[in-house]
Amino acid sequence: MNPSNTASSPSRLSLFWHKWRFHLNVLLLLIPLGFMPKYFSEAALFRGDTGLGEREIGEVQVGPWSLRLAEFRNEAPRPDGPAGHMKHFNAALYQRCIGEVKATYLRIGKPRSLRAAGVIFFGSPYRMGALLPVPQKTPLDAELWITLEGWDGSMHQAAIPLSQASPATIAWLKTQGAQP
Amino acid sequence: MSKKSRSKLWFLVHSWLALPIWFFVLIVCVTGTLAVVSQEIVWLANPDMRASKPSDDAPLLSYDQVIAAIKQAQPLTQVLSIARPDESHFALEAKVTYPDGRPDTVYVNPYSGVIQGSAPAFNFRGFTRALHGWWLVPFTNGYSWGWYLVSLLGLPLLASLVTGLVVYKRFWKGFFRPTLRIRHGARIFWGDFHRLSGIWSIWFIAVISITGTWFLVEAVLSDNQISISSAPVIPVVARESVPLSTDGLAPQQLSLDRAIEIAQQRIPGLDASFVSLPGNAYSHLEIGGRGWYPLMFQTATINPYNGDVAASRLLSDRTPLEFVTESMRPLHTGDFGGLWIKLIWFFFGLVLSMMVLSGLLIWTKRTALATANAFKRSQKPPREARITQALQPSVHRESSEGSV
Repeated sequence: MNPSNTASSPSRLSLFWHKWRFHLNVLLLLIPLGFMPKYFSEAALFRGDTGLGEREIGEVQVGPWSLRLAEFRNEAPRPDGPAGHMKHFNAALYQRCIGEVKATYLRIGKPRSLRAAGVIFFGSPYRMGALLPVPQKTPLDAELWITLEGWDGSMHQAAIPLSQASPATIAWLKTQGAQP
Repeated sequence: MSKKSRSKLWFLVHSWLALPIWFFVLIVCVTGTLAVVSQEIVWLANPDMRASKPSDDAPLLSYDQVIAAIKQAQPLTQVLSIARPDESHFALEAKVTYPDGRPDTVYVNPYSGVIQGSAPAFNFRGFTRALHGWWLVPFTNGYSWGWYLVSLLGLPLLASLVTGLVVYKRFWKGFFRPTLRIRHGARIFWGDFHRLSGIWSIWFIAVISITGTWFLVEAVLSDNQISISSAPVIPVVARESVPLSTDGLAPQQLSLDRAIEIAQQRIPGLDASFVSLPGNAYSHLEIGGRGWYPLMFQTATINPYNGDVAASRLLSDRTPLEFVTESMRPLHTGDFGGLWIKLIWFFFGLVLSMMVLSGLLIWTKRTALATANAFKRSQKPPREARITQALQPSVHRESSEGSV
């Protein structure tokens, strides 16, 4: 306990250490302090202060209907356990088509049928979200297909280049060794 | 090893468990204590959150009436879910989305249906929980490392309880003869305080440390993709059972009150405390609430077009293991029996915080004393030192007892 007993000529450093060693853990408070700006920017993102997401992709016309699409986070797909990497997109239907659109889907590559239209959007038509799986081997020139299904049974599709939908995903695919 | 040196060892283990990180432990205790009553603190600060009764005999509105009231006040606002907090003095919380794409939580009066206000931009409840639960470290891939940092404290806390009871010989006597000596100096006072609050908090420290350790286990399981859940994966509403419409517009869905009736037929005694509207045309309506066992929710998942119960999750559907693990969180937070339970958790949370502080104070006082004694011994001739020792019987009885 007493530094003078343990060391014959204690250095200033060891004196400092013995005096303050049990108070150094106050420095652990720096962790939440450091993460606080991140916490509040995340809260603002979920509150919709930045709109639909961090990066608006813009309006996409799908047959007679149209929607706005956004990347929730302007970043690479996030790993999600065995499900692979997931990319979160948000979308909003235009007011005039809300009553007519039954479901909105998202898929990389053209769907073969309505039953394989991809992931379905959840949430209110003003702000709905979908987690799109992005395989690591996705080609860089892949297209993002948006499928809208109407209550009348109709189906309309549109595609935008993935590079336009999410440059961050393309950058990530390049690091995964994807071929153009 | 002699009995004396063994107890000294236990004592050393006890004193070193929290000491090097005492401030971290203290802040985790304090933020946890605040988190228990965070909802109540917001209630005090924000009148919008209160459910004032227009008259003494005003009946509660049904969920359908609440939706109708919101629609009338804000025709374009979309309602996603409505939750009725446990305590009746809280307004309903409805999750909504506005036409501009902004999500919001609004407080709705459960008697009049009036939208009293929006949740403030700074979510105090969310913030204290995030600070206490994961030290604000974001979740990016599985559990955040802040979660591990905090939940790891469950282990030293449990060890503190066990070693504390070992070194405090015949602690049960403290229940019958409570001692809190105020006039014998700070060292004696904090020692008595630490022991007295310790024995009355045995149950609480056990609950918090075991449930806290469970949070660690939960994170380890989840990050290793190990699931102990027996809950079935509920398939989406079949394409065939979603009716087509001839006019091209969405078909009528089941009313919420009818859906609650169906749920109550399936789950007798269900008090529907939340409803979650379908997230899209192929998803279900979910209704849930507590039953006879207040620590768990029971839910019914209902097809919104034909009223079929697609799935239900009752108390009896849980495995015995799930009964234990699912009870861990409410036991940790004290959120299972209304305000009084929360106040008890809050009080013992304060006591636990004070125990961390008093443990530190005892340690610093004793170290200061030990240093002073060592200093005296080295300054004075041995014989005189022995006399000094003999003149301070109370001090030495305390430290040789080694039972702080």
